[in-house]
Amino acid sequence: MKIKLKLYASSKFLSDNDTLNVELPNNSTIGDLRNILGKIISEKNLQHLQNLHETSAFFGEVDEVINDNYKLKDKETISIIPPIGGG
Amino acid sequence: MSIHIALVNTKEQKISLEKAKNFISSGDYGAESIFIGRVRNENSGKKVTAVTYDAHDQAVIKSFQSICNAAREKFDKNTKIFLEHAKGYAPVGEVSILIAIGSGHRDEAFKICRYILEEVKHQSPIWKKEHYVDGKEEWLPGHSLRPKKEVK
Repeated sequence: MKIKLKLYASSKFLSDNDTLNVELPNNSTIGDLRNILGKIISEKNLQHLQNLHETSAFFGEVDEVINDNYKLKDKETISIIPPIGGG
Repeated sequence: MSIHIALVNTKEQKISLEKAKNFISSGDYGAESIFIGRVRNENSGKKVTAVTYDAHDQAVIKSFQSICNAAREKFDKNTKIFLEHAKGYAPVGEVSILIAIGSGHRDEAFKICRYILEEVKHQSPIWKKEHYVDGKEEWLPGHSLRPKKEVK
């Protein structure tokens, strides 16, 4: 299955666009998505993002944090939320 | 209407102190407290020329509403709150956040202002990229929203 990951702030280094299409096995979870993002970061040698997949939260379609056990659905849109710091 | 919240796209407009003052001004209030955050020309020894703010718009507005509601509940149910934050490119000196409070008394006005500022920093998905005089740029580290129980 495929999900669309909306990118914010430093996570935009993962793609030339504001989104990243990620392919995962069926029944994958947010925890699995973290692992795949970790591999992508290693493969692209994005050393400044090496902890991004561990420190980020993820928002589902209602813009609230979803936990690592959340089961992703095909074609779902998820947002990656790197550590925040406005003001 | 007792709460005004907005993310202000810096390409289209600037955050306005006059607008904030007009919003909170009322004979009902004996105290007004205003906090203005601006882009500073230095951070950790680096000379800064500007900051670009990114934001998850819908979640920011949702968090602003929730924070302001909580502040009213906690400190003063009759307060008036103005809260705007910049989104986009903001050069040194430009206003990044403006919080204005109208309240019956000074203690509540100060407390609400401080409470909202700290909660925005810890709840609202907004990010800063600093631009430096040498042409480099950097996304700043921040506060993780990942549930604590999941962090190994």
